[in-house]
Amino acid sequence: MEAISHAGIVIGVLSKDGVVLAAEKKVTGKLLDMSGATGGSYGGSGEKIFLLNSNVISGVAGITADANSLVNYARQAAQRHLFSYNEDIPVELLAQRLCDLKQGYTQYGGLRPFGVSLLYAGYDPHYQFQLYHSDPSGNYSGWKATCIGANNGTATSLLKQDYKEDISVEDAIELVLKVMSKTMDSTTLGSEKLEFATLTLDASKQPKAKIYNPAEIDALLQKHGLGKKEEGDAAAPAPGDLTL
Amino acid sequence: MDISFALTGKGYVIVAADTTAARSIVKMKVDEDKIKVLSPHLLMAFSGEPGDTVQFAEYIERNIRLYQIRNTYALRPPSAASWIRRALADSLRSRRPYSVNLLVGGYDTSTHTPHLYWVDYLGTMSEVPFAAHGYGAYFALSLLDRYHDPEASLEDGLATLRRCLDEVAKRLVVTPEKYKVKVVDKDGVREVEI
Amino acid sequence: MNSFLTRYSSTSPDADIRKAKELYGEDEEVSEMMWGSAGGFGNLAKGVPSFKIPAVADPSSFLRMHTDDHADPSCRIKIKHGTTTLAFRYKGGVIVAVDSRATAGSYVASGTVKKVIEINPYLLGTMAGGAADCQYWETYLGIQCRLHELRNRERISVAAASKYLSNLVYSYKGMGLSMGTMICGWDKTGPAIFYVDSDGSRLKGDLFSVGSGSTFAYGVLDQGYKWDLTDEEAHELGRRSIYAAGHRDAFSGNTVNLYHVQQDGWKFIGNYDVSELHYNGPGDNVPGAPGGGYGYDIRVEGRSSSNAPA
Repeated sequence: MEAISHAGIVIGVLSKDGVVLAAEKKVTGKLLDMSGATGGSYGGSGEKIFLLNSNVISGVAGITADANSLVNYARQAAQRHLFSYNEDIPVELLAQRLCDLKQGYTQYGGLRPFGVSLLYAGYDPHYQFQLYHSDPSGNYSGWKATCIGANNGTATSLLKQDYKEDISVEDAIELVLKVMSKTMDSTTLGSEKLEFATLTLDASKQPKAKIYNPAEIDALLQKHGLGKKEEGDAAAPAPGDLTL
Repeated sequence: MDISFALTGKGYVIVAADTTAARSIVKMKVDEDKIKVLSPHLLMAFSGEPGDTVQFAEYIERNIRLYQIRNTYALRPPSAASWIRRALADSLRSRRPYSVNLLVGGYDTSTHTPHLYWVDYLGTMSEVPFAAHGYGAYFALSLLDRYHDPEASLEDGLATLRRCLDEVAKRLVVTPEKYKVKVVDKDGVREVEI
Repeated sequence: MNSFLTRYSSTSPDADIRKAKELYGEDEEVSEMMWGSAGGFGNLAKGVPSFKIPAVADPSSFLRMHTDDHADPSCRIKIKHGTTTLAFRYKGGVIVAVDSRATAGSYVASGTVKKVIEINPYLLGTMAGGAADCQYWETYLGIQCRLHELRNRERISVAAASKYLSNLVYSYKGMGLSMGTMICGWDKTGPAIFYVDSDGSRLKGDLFSVGSGSTFAYGVLDQGYKWDLTDEEAHELGRRSIYAAGHRDAFSGNTVNLYHVQQDGWKFIGNYDVSELHYNGPGDNVPGAPGGGYGYDIRVEGRSSSNAPA
């Protein structure tokens, strides 16, 4: 539990036409080899934000090793559902699967519970876009906007202040970035400290998860005027590439 | 042998099955319901090996209900049909497989689309606009190729079903005397007289 | 067994047949008794003609041994079984329509078989079951019909011709003949159709379909049939029904052959490719046809059962 309150913050905001996740990375540094992050099959460095299934992304806070184990379990649970029902697992059901596992470790002596909280951002045809939070005890709940990790109190009050019903996904992105910039320790935001992802619908009404790679995050921050002042903009990709 | 038909139309699925329960050359019962209502928008006609049919149908019925209780919402027709197919496919590799053929018809309330699945005892599944099991298939499929309209009103859909039943009555040596007909649409499941 | 070897073997069943041929001198397929001598009544007086049969103890089990493809898929002779044929009477005459596929087991042996046998300008016979049996005996029937004309100075009635064939195949009952045929024509009584099969059944009727695809043909035929069809509608119904069987029955298909029998004899209407009918229909200038492909997917293209609000 202690680990979670010190972990990098993860913020999730739900909107009518999409869900947004952002996370603060703690493990950084010049010497960290991030070459895998850009070349991966889906964006992100794989530290805080994960693709659990084609319709669900999650952000984790807590013991990283435990989180990896849970992510693996969630992915398998989603595949089991696909095998049985030939459909993407409903988001709440996936959260339930993980919570059943987590709860099991609170019930028997001698076992250490998973020290991880998760946010699940997903879509299914039953309830459209959804955002859930689960804690190490196996409790879970649905949210319009929430956060986990260090400074979550500050972030929550900021979200309460600025969240509006019927918010669009574009506004949700702006809200998440704004709250992120105000809660994170560092003065300026950059891809080395931030992970970012959205879940929207594509042209054929199928859920489409997008986990941003570092270059896309920097460009997004530039677009919202939150990025570092750069001497030469040569490295930043054209804004046209970054639409959702 | 049992005969069952099903066809889709604009916003509905019609499922029909004969009502005879026979053993050897004897009719044991003439008002047997061979169409299960699995959920508010899901129907399943079953036929095949006596004994297996009802056992399997009830197993499916209870499990679909269990999912609904656990998750508050029912499985959508494509997922329900996939699960049912999986149950049959797993059974096929067991010590004593179920010999049951199915027609699964349902209305998907989230996409406002009717779905019909033809499933046989080997676990073959295919989504189709119309379907039949038993000897009726030999007479009805060509007829439905010719007359079925995916945008037909319920009245026209029932008239097309009537054609199938008439053709079977005309050409099949042993004709079932009665059919039970159920419809599923946006308002749920109901039985209709034909 | 190696067929080349068998041909020259002196102990095989083939050798037995060869020996039998030599013994009985099989130059003539028809024995002398056949040719009526008593003023044209010889045939009827003597009843059914007698034919040579394999010179073995039990000819029918001999045949079964070499043709039963269920028990022994490797047997040398495979008999053509899958077919769809139909014929119906209506106010404008008789429509005869057949497919053109020949199968031996699961093998499509030919796609261009003529399953309508033109017995004479006023009589047609259809072919289902064993191809050779039908072809041979219906050709033979043609000979007898011509002889009837010569002897009696008038054309044979459809009833008489079909009865002749029926009696003939009945005399071979249990010996392995396999035929399901419709004898169609126009005589003094008007249009007529008789169903004759190798069991010995002979049925007079307005509408028949025979073969593995018959149920599929019936499905379309029965629902579209009425006595007052126009010629164009009747052609379309026959063509559409054989298409239905060609589409649904694996042992039928390839093409449709369509005939129309009227007072002045039969007329060949056309040959239609089943795939072509599926995708494009019988063509642009075909009266009676609705236009467009017969295929379900082609017919309902763009239509949807979904009633989602737009």
